[in-house]
Amino acid sequence: MPSDELAASLAACARGDRGGLKRIFDGEAARLIAVAERILRRRELAEEVVQDAFIRIWTSAHQYSPERGSARGWIHAIVRNRALNMLRDGRREDTVEDDRLETLRESDQLDHILSAWHALDQNSRLRECLGTLDEMKRRGILLAYVGGYTHGEIAGRLRLPLGTTKSWIRRGLSALRECMA
Amino acid sequence: MIFNETTIPEIADEYVLGLLDAADHATVEAEMERNAGLRQAVATSRDRYLPLDMTAEAAAVPPGLWTQIEAGLADTPAAVPLGGATLAPEAVLTPAANDNRGFGWKAAALSSMAATLVLAVALTWSLGRRAEPMVIAVLLNETGEVQAVVEDFGNDTANIRLLADIAVPDDKAVEVWTLPSAEMGPVSLGLLEEGQSGRLKAPPLPTPQDAQLYEITLEQAGGSPTGRPTGPVLAKGFAKLPR
Repeated sequence: MPSDELAASLAACARGDRGGLKRIFDGEAARLIAVAERILRRRELAEEVVQDAFIRIWTSAHQYSPERGSARGWIHAIVRNRALNMLRDGRREDTVEDDRLETLRESDQLDHILSAWHALDQNSRLRECLGTLDEMKRRGILLAYVGGYTHGEIAGRLRLPLGTTKSWIRRGLSALRECMA
Repeated sequence: MIFNETTIPEIADEYVLGLLDAADHATVEAEMERNAGLRQAVATSRDRYLPLDMTAEAAAVPPGLWTQIEAGLADTPAAVPLGGATLAPEAVLTPAANDNRGFGWKAAALSSMAATLVLAVALTWSLGRRAEPMVIAVLLNETGEVQAVVEDFGNDTANIRLLADIAVPDDKAVEVWTLPSAEMGPVSLGLLEEGQSGRLKAPPLPTPQDAQLYEITLEQAGGSPTGRPTGPVLAKGFAKLPR
């Protein structure tokens, strides 16, 4: 759904029109579940997050204004925040079934997350700017945004000290801001 | 956390990426409510990284999910501080308009302070004019936010000052209504051109009274086809006599 239609649907929600919420659901739920699943790694948790997020979208729709960025960015932020909350509450730890399986999944998961960069549109400015970063910085940013990893988890995956990881990510973010300005 | 020109873009990015600990995350959310620079930086950062979300391959949506969400909406507590008063006759209430009534107007009580402030501003605004309004009504939306102020001069003219952005689709119009008496029923004061504030010339009406209901609704372009409110209620409020 185009972002201006999303904004109009949010305005409908703010007026108490459930049709607006249904339109957002029909247009966006499938991708939002996938976004939450990349963070939570479990479909049923992702569905639970999206269910909660839609109630939140409904009750908060009146707070959205263009000053808060695109309607899509605002909707995604609600889903992402709820997924991250669930993750930090330790729900993802439930996914550990046995060590070997977890290791296999872990490496698949890393590839899956890092592939998001290649999946960006060829003409995307973000793709180009991520391409100008050192590999470690790029990986750190993708692991955080796409996979919901913490500084500590990223340090572990990249085999870097925590302090180094934090400062690399910070420098990567700063370079991206400049590149995309 | 220190919020200044240097730190705000960094903090916004780390907030959006989910890299802040719970305490800093909460601090940023609270600060965002009062710091426009931070709000803007977060908005920019969200939209910067959003294309990565768009690479997620759409999942299958489970069949019952929408039903569960709808059931969750029904649990939303409803209270009706404005007494549920609305100009729309029950017969023409659409299901959406019904939902509107059931769900909303709950926070209106909380915002009475805000409404009072706006009333003070509106009074100051009107004092600079020659004509004195007979009544002033502050119109709130269902979440209790001030949307508009109506000044009715009692000589069949009224000023509507919009205090919030109202999205008006091309084929719709914002119509202003009042209820002079139960016998008369709702009467249109006119349409707001392109959702802008305006001065309306209404048909001859009885002198406006204290606590008279004013309301704005979204109608089809050109106004309500029935001469009565048919569309969703955008905001409503009761008149007060300036004193």
